This record gives sequence, C-alpha cells and structure tokens, in this order.
Amino acid sequence: MRVPLSWLGDYVDLDIPLDDLAARLDTSTAVVAGIEHHGVSDDDGNLGLFRVGRVLEAKKHPNADRLQLCVVDVGESEPYQIVCGAWNFGTGATVAVALPGATLPGGLVLERRKLRGEESAGMILSEQELELGQDHTGIIVLDDGEPGTPLGDVLPLQDVVLDLEITGNRPDLLSVYGVAREVAALFRLDLASPPGRDPAPVGNELVDVTIEDFDGCPRYIGRLLRDVRIGPSPLWLRARLDAAGMRPISNVVDATNYVMLGLGNPLHAFDQTTLAGGKIVVRRARPGEKLRTLDGVERDLDPSDLMIADAERSIALAGIMGGEDTEISDQTTEVLLEAANFEPTGLWRTSERMRLRTEGSNRWEKGVDPYLAEQAAAWATELIVSLTGARFVGHTDAKGVLPERPVVRFRPEQASAFLGLEVAAEEQEDILTRLGNERRDGEYVVPTWRARDLVREVDLIEEVARFHLADVPFTLPVRREMYGRLDRAQRVRRRVEDTLASLGFSEVYTPSLVEQDRDERALRLQEPITVELALLRTELLPSLVETARRNAEVGNAPVALFEVARAYLPRGDAELPDERVRVAGVAEGGFLHVKGVVQALLRSLHADASWSRAQHPLLHPGKAAETEAGVVGELHPALLAGVWGAFELDLEELAGAARDPVPYEDVITYPAIHQDIAVSVGEDVEVGALVDAARSAAGPLLREARVFDVYRGEQVGPGKKSAAIHLTFQSPERTLTDEEAAELRGRIVTALAEDFGAELRA
Amino acid sequence: MLTSLTLMDVQNLENGALAAVAGADSADEIERVRVEYLGRKSELKLALRDVRDRESGMALNTLRERLETAIDGREQELRRAELDRQLTQDVLDVTLPGEERRLGSLHPTTLTRRIVEDAFLGLGYEVIDDREVETVHYNFDQLAFPPAHPSRSHRDTFFIDPVRLLRTETSPSQIHVMEGKKPPIYMVSLGRVYRRDAPDATHFPIFHQFEGLAVDRDIKLADLKGTLRHVMRALFGDERQVRFRTHYFPFTEPSIEPDVSCPICDMRGCRMCKYTGWIELGGAGMVNPQVFVNVGIDPEEWTGFAFGCGIERAAQLRHGISEIRPFWENDLRVLRQF
Repeated sequence: MRVPLSWLGDYVDLDIPLDDLAARLDTSTAVVAGIEHHGVSDDDGNLGLFRVGRVLEAKKHPNADRLQLCVVDVGESEPYQIVCGAWNFGTGATVAVALPGATLPGGLVLERRKLRGEESAGMILSEQELELGQDHTGIIVLDDGEPGTPLGDVLPLQDVVLDLEITGNRPDLLSVYGVAREVAALFRLDLASPPGRDPAPVGNELVDVTIEDFDGCPRYIGRLLRDVRIGPSPLWLRARLDAAGMRPISNVVDATNYVMLGLGNPLHAFDQTTLAGGKIVVRRARPGEKLRTLDGVERDLDPSDLMIADAERSIALAGIMGGEDTEISDQTTEVLLEAANFEPTGLWRTSERMRLRTEGSNRWEKGVDPYLAEQAAAWATELIVSLTGARFVGHTDAKGVLPERPVVRFRPEQASAFLGLEVAAEEQEDILTRLGNERRDGEYVVPTWRARDLVREVDLIEEVARFHLADVPFTLPVRREMYGRLDRAQRVRRRVEDTLASLGFSEVYTPSLVEQDRDERALRLQEPITVELALLRTELLPSLVETARRNAEVGNAPVALFEVARAYLPRGDAELPDERVRVAGVAEGGFLHVKGVVQALLRSLHADASWSRAQHPLLHPGKAAETEAGVVGELHPALLAGVWGAFELDLEELAGAARDPVPYEDVITYPAIHQDIAVSVGEDVEVGALVDAARSAAGPLLREARVFDVYRGEQVGPGKKSAAIHLTFQSPERTLTDEEAAELRGRIVTALAEDFGAELRA
Repeated sequence: MLTSLTLMDVQNLENGALAAVAGADSADEIERVRVEYLGRKSELKLALRDVRDRESGMALNTLRERLETAIDGREQELRRAELDRQLTQDVLDVTLPGEERRLGSLHPTTLTRRIVEDAFLGLGYEVIDDREVETVHYNFDQLAFPPAHPSRSHRDTFFIDPVRLLRTETSPSQIHVMEGKKPPIYMVSLGRVYRRDAPDATHFPIFHQFEGLAVDRDIKLADLKGTLRHVMRALFGDERQVRFRTHYFPFTEPSIEPDVSCPICDMRGCRMCKYTGWIELGGAGMVNPQVFVNVGIDPEEWTGFAFGCGIERAAQLRHGISEIRPFWENDLRVLRQF
C-alpha cells in the first residue's frame, strides 16, 4: 500500500518526524518497504524556482515548426523568454514555470540555453515533468493565478510516499484512512471523521437491485447518477492517484479508485444505459455463461463464480473486474454506482481460477468491513457530483444480515503472563480503546473494520504485544521432561557426510525437481515454473552425473561429488510418495576405486554388505554390483566421457546395517593363525562366492577371509584363474592349535573343490 | 679388610674414572675408558678377583656399578651428539608442500544446518527430518491458513493435484509431531521447502528451512525472543543484536519477524543489509490456538511458540555470499572453499 503523506495528513496531524513515523509503523504495524520522495526536491531553495507564470506572448519559433517561442511573466521585473514544445495553450494562459537553475524531479537541472538559435530561460512544465501524472501531451494550464506565485501554493509539487507491506490480516490498512486510524492510535493523535459527505438526492428514481446470493454478497448499494459529463479529473486527484500508484483514467473511474484507496472499499461504476432492463442482479454464473472483462479477455464462467448481472446476462465478475460492454466510456452520461460487500473465499477462488488479481480482488479476498459500503457510496457520490456535475437521482441499499461486532473476553493479567512482560491494566485498556475496541465489563466489543481479525483473547493480546514488542524481555523456556538428541538415522547421516568428505568427495545440493526421470510414474507438478524443474526425481544419480559433467567441462579435476537427499518413489495414484533419503556419489575412477569408497563408507558405519552382480541402466553392464542398500558400479560410458564410478545407497538401509554400539571382540588374548591358500577355478566363478563358501565351511573360527590376488596365465591354463585368499583363524576363548587350523583349512579346500571344482595350487 | 686396594685407593680410583668419563669426547675414547677401568686387566677387576671378605666385595661391586652407569650414560650422550652432528647435514626445504591428501568438503547448507541442529540440541530439542510431499490438509488447513490465503494459490505453491503439493514450509512436520504425542514438545525440523519463485541470481524455487516448535505450560513471548536470540548468536556470533517487528502468519498469533544486526558489516551499513544495519531473517510467533485445537491440544493448558528461517539465507550471511546461485550450481571451485 502506497500512502502519500499529503493525503494521510488530511485525516491525522502528522507533526511527527518521518523517521519516527516509519520506525513505529515498521515495528508495530507493517513493514515499511520504502520511503519515496516524490516530486520536486526542496533542497537549496529549489522550490522557489517553480512559479506560476502568465504567457504574455506565444508564437511559432522562427527556426522550428514544432516549437513555440513564449514570453512569460513570472513575477519579476523582466519577463522570461521560454521555448516550449507544446501547443495546448496560447497568449494569456496561466502556466507552471521552472526557472533556470531549478532541479526537476528526474534530476535534470535547467540552464539558460539556445534552442534553434533562440534563448530559452527555463521550462513550461507538463504533469509528467513534475511527477504529477502521466500526461505529457501538453503542458499544465492552470486556473487563473497571479504571476510569480510559488507554484507549490497551487500544485502538489512534492510528497512523501510510504510503501507499506500490509499483511493479510489487516485489510483495514489497505486504505489511507485506515493507516491514519492506526497512526492516530500509535501516536495518541486525533483522527478526523471518515471522508465523504453524502449529497442529498435530487430525485427518487428506482434503482433496481436484487441480491440472489446473500452468502456471496451481503450488501449492495446502488446509486443512479444522471447528466454525468465524463472528462479528465482535476490535477490534485490525478496527482494523488499517481502517487498512490494508480493510473488516472476519467473523472468517474478516478473517483471510484480514489475512494477505494482512501477508505478501502472497492467500487464499480456501470454505464446505466447499457444495462438490460436497467437492473442489477447479484447471482452465480449460469452454466456455459461467458463474459468479456474490460481487459478484453473473454472468460469462461463457472457456476461457483459470483456475478453482477443485468436482466439478461452477466456484466461483471463481482469484486474482481467489470465487463467490457458496460464500462464507463467518454460518451457515458448515466452512471450506476456500485458500493457493495463481497465475501472473500468464493471471490478468491474465482480470482485464483482465472489467474486474475486486481486492486479490488486484493482487498475483497482479505475481507472488507461490510459496514464500509455506506460511507464509500457517500464519498464517491459526493465526488462524482462535484467532478462531473452529475445529478444524484436514485438510491438503493439491498442487504442481508450483516455480522455483529465480535465481543471478546480479555484478562489483562493473562496478557502480561503471555508476553512475559508486566503491562499495567490501564495501559492495556488504553491501547485497545485507541484501536477502536469498546470496553464492556471484562470484554471488548471489536470495531467492524477488525471484526475478522480480533475474535479471541489472544488476538487482543497481540494488539498489546505489538505496542510493547521491544519491551518484552529475552528469556528461555523452563524446560521439563525433554532432552535433545540426534536419532540413529541422523547420526548415520552425519557419519556418512563426514566420511565421504574425508575420502575426497565434495558435497553438492541438486534440485529434487528434474526434467526427466526413468520412472514414468514419477510425480509431475501441475504447473512447473520451468521445464527443467517439473518432476520429482526417483533417483539422485542423474543429477550428480550432470553436475560432474559440468565440473569436468570447466576443468575442475579431480571430480568427486556426493549428495544426501530424498528420492520420491511413487505409490498409488492419490497416495503420498515413499520418500527415501539416499546418499549418492560420482567420482573419477573405475569400479574397484568406487567400490573401495563404498567399502570405506560401510566400514565407517561398521556395516557389512554382501554384493552381487547387478544390472542398472546408468551403470556399465559388466561392472555394477548391488546390495540391500543400493548399487555401486562404473558409470555407463555413454553417459560421461572417461571412466567414472557411481553409487546410490539408501540411508535408512545403511542405518539398519550399521552396528552401533560396536560389539567388542577379544583379538589380543589368544593369537590368530594366518594362512594363505591359492586355488584355481573357472573364469566365471566370482571370488565373492569363494569367500562365502569358505566362511560357511569353516564357521565362526574363520575370522577373516580376504582375496588378495587374482592371477591368470599359463600356469593356471586357459579359461581359468587363480585366486589367492588370506585366511585368519582365531578364537576369542582359547589358543587354536595348528591341527585345528589345518583341519579348518582342509574343510575350506574341500568345500571349494566340491562347490566350484577348485584345485588347490598352494 | 681390603686387600690390594685401600679405602683411599677406591676413592681415588673412582675420582680418576669419573674424570676420564667426563673427559672422553668420542665413542672411541669412552671405549678406552671402559677398558681401562672395567676391562679384564683393570685395577678394579683385579681387585675384585682378589677380594676375600664380603664387605670389600660389596664396596667394589657398588663402585663397578657406578662406573658402568657413568660410562653408559656418557656413551649415550656422545652417540646422540654424533647423531645430531650428522643430522645437521640432512636438511630439507621445510617450505615444500606436504604430500597431497585429497580432502572433500561439506556444502555450506550442511554446515549451517549442523550449527542450527547443534544449537537446538543444546537447548534440549529433538531434530526432525520430515516428508516434503504433503497434503493441503497438513500444509495449510491444519496450520489455520485462511481459505483465501495467497500461499494456497497455484501462483505460489507447487501442486501435484488438488490434494497433494510440495510443502511450502517445514511447518507441516509440527503438525505431524503434535498429532503423534502429547506436550511438552521441543522440536526443530530441517529440510527442503518449495515456493513458486522463478530462478534467478537471488531466488530458487527450492530452498532449505529450519523451523522450531516449543509447546509447554507457560511458554511466553519472552521465551520466543530469548530462543531466537540464542539461535541468531549461534549462527552469527555472540555480539549480535536482535530486534523484532510485528508481522502476520496464519499459524501464529501474535506473529513477529526477527531482525539481526548485520553480521557482514556489524551495522556500519553494507549491500547485504541495504545500508540499514539490520537483516530481516525468518518469521516467528506464538502458536495460534486454532492450530492447537486442530491437533487436539488444549490451548488453555498449553502455550507454545514457533519460528522458521531459511538455511541458505543464514549461510549467505555467515559466509558473505550475496547470491543464491552458488548454492545450487555446485561448482567445485566454490565447494572446495568450505
């Protein structure tokens, strides 16, 4: 909400330093997003160089067809010669002049200079140059005025605009008067009565309004104005609209917008002659009905949309936007003014479905005071009558049951306890009363403009809180029965991150939304913001491969990346996905390198894993392995140039496999017996199977079995390989004898021979 | 009775031997001293051989032990001195770089996340990591978002269908926890959240948030202020100031927004704080009683506070990163700095 201080000053005496005003609003009311100095600067007597001038003579520039050469009296002994590009005035016109040395709002400093050979001392000003409006088709022609009069006396040359970020609970602040009411409460100032004095109607014509849907529209005031003359609004009005951020259009439309900005109640004006049957019906849209709104878009209506209709058709999206057919045009002479109240939720749904937000819908969807329509109608009528010379000839106020003002119980001692700050009961009462609440026994009657926001005791406590926020002390809860800890999965996650980082991997964060996913059931966003971020990924590896590629391309070798993040595995159609926290990594190097990394990771968790051959679309078909937790392998060479390893493991599975606490084994008291064997087997036998077989043959006394060499060559023969296995036998309870070790070794050799046809070589 | 050596002789022998030990300044010399005083033909050995009585034997043996100790000690000294002399020749340029041990790195988001987790673990909070795909029920309804709140709009929120969406804040996990157990509750939830912001230098539609909740008897607004100051100081240093402004969030009442004194410029004014000295950081408030009602907690018996803050935003301020882009670009030249 842009609040021009000149306008705010109409309702409250602003004898407060600007910084104090802004700081107080910022702390207690709404974020002050900006303080904008609008218009002519006051520095170094600059304002004195802006004067009212009278054109003593205006004629064509001798050397330029499109320029006028003017002699202008600015109240000094000699008139000034000024070259001007506009032609909307002539001799005798009263104009706005900036003298040489003046700084214009845009920062331009005027100098005496020659234009096409003629001296020009200053400038005759247009609205745009003064930041009074958008009009630059001609210069400002003033009503009569004495030459030399300070221009600031007749035009609003400067203003300060507060840009407030109004939160959704305070629609009452989406108006200059509402902000004035807040400022008056904050600073204990007097507040003027709400603007607008209803003119007496000069007729008693029927205004035919029917509300068919009181839920959507509890109130509709319709007013008929005849003999309207459409034209531009006066400069003061256009300047205020401009400062508040709205574009001036015409006197009638500007009057409705001005009242909306001033009071917070959006209004609409129809050209009465375009209404079929001359009547207004508030109803829901009919099936299949369409409306062309005044932005030129033809809109399909839904039977839930609240419409303003005439006898035949819909003519406006209630509260959101008027229709093209019935809008005010230059030819309009009869105006039907709408000052209504619309219910927020349904209106929001329509606005949301149509992707159509307006100044009006922004206010309605937050809830506008239903009692405000009357004052808004009065002020708008007053303005239209005075601006257009219209006659106010008819009035209707159709309404359902308007809500009562809430009555809220309030205990000052409760407020003090809730804040942790002792605020005197009288002070609390003072705050609440200044904000428009009326005290009645232990209760307060809430003002209509806060009726949606202040309904419970805690809402009133908030009012006290925001006035004393800085005084509330800093304490910590007196905590009971709770202690802080990381759970097992969280500890595992930290361990995984630390281990991978110490193994040379850098952690990355890649988007959980991707362009493509292997799983065709991957969840898809209804309205992605870009095609690259459209699907919820079911695996992390593709994002990591892409990240590795980009790093390799810019020469960031060696590349080793990991990420801990969620994969979103789709379940049923309406179900939430199974979200799995995964750790995935990609690094330069072959299969055994990356498997070594994963083994180190498992060792850091004291987790065991058994690996088997796997097929995975992202991995080399011959160099990929899997375990319960996931996969490890060489990246498929088609994905990334060079040799890369990759893994993706489920963190919950890892946490399940992690041994914590680690059980102690006595490996010191009784010595271990170390033996190596080498067996030759067929090429297709996997060494992992040999180790598994050795373990099951020897039982728990085989503490370790580790393949340390695989040899191929003439001595083993074609199609065969020799695997050397290091065996460690040990008992935690006694010293094993050489005979026992030999017996265990014999069992292993026998098992390998029986299962795999292994021949003992050494 | 001593036979060949008198008591006086013994004393002289010891004095002479110790002087010889002290005077020896090479391994060869100390060896000569050893032979001279302890060798087979030494005066002492000869005397020992001739000893007849127990008293003399003990005296001579003690002398032998003393001499052996002195000689061994001197020998070690001399060997060490010799080694040191040799080592002075064995000089390396110690400014050469050490052997490369490749270390990886943790992402600044993780580093900041851990600081937050640890700060709240210290306060006795449990850490929650919850689901990201949520329902309208948990993301909005249970958190008392009014029906027309702009966050419910397709413009602001990623919907999968009319019921399912990507959570817009970590708050739904508050609801899960409150539905799952009775107060007291002290929890902090951390994870990814999603908003429909077009990606640019300072925005990304995915970011991380931490969000805390305390529900207990007699929780006060002052407790929220103190807790927020604690976490701000954990993140940005003990000298930070914290101030608060009124705000509005559906799930808290009253709602406040904390500002922390700018950790980049220490309030002297910089681009990061837009020359105001203060940084807006997160949102907070006392739990809206309606939220308690929604999850079956009696608001007359229990009060609570909640707060939330962007993790990347906090990381930006910790490390002086003015853009959000580096957080998702994952360029190793950036990541290796951390």
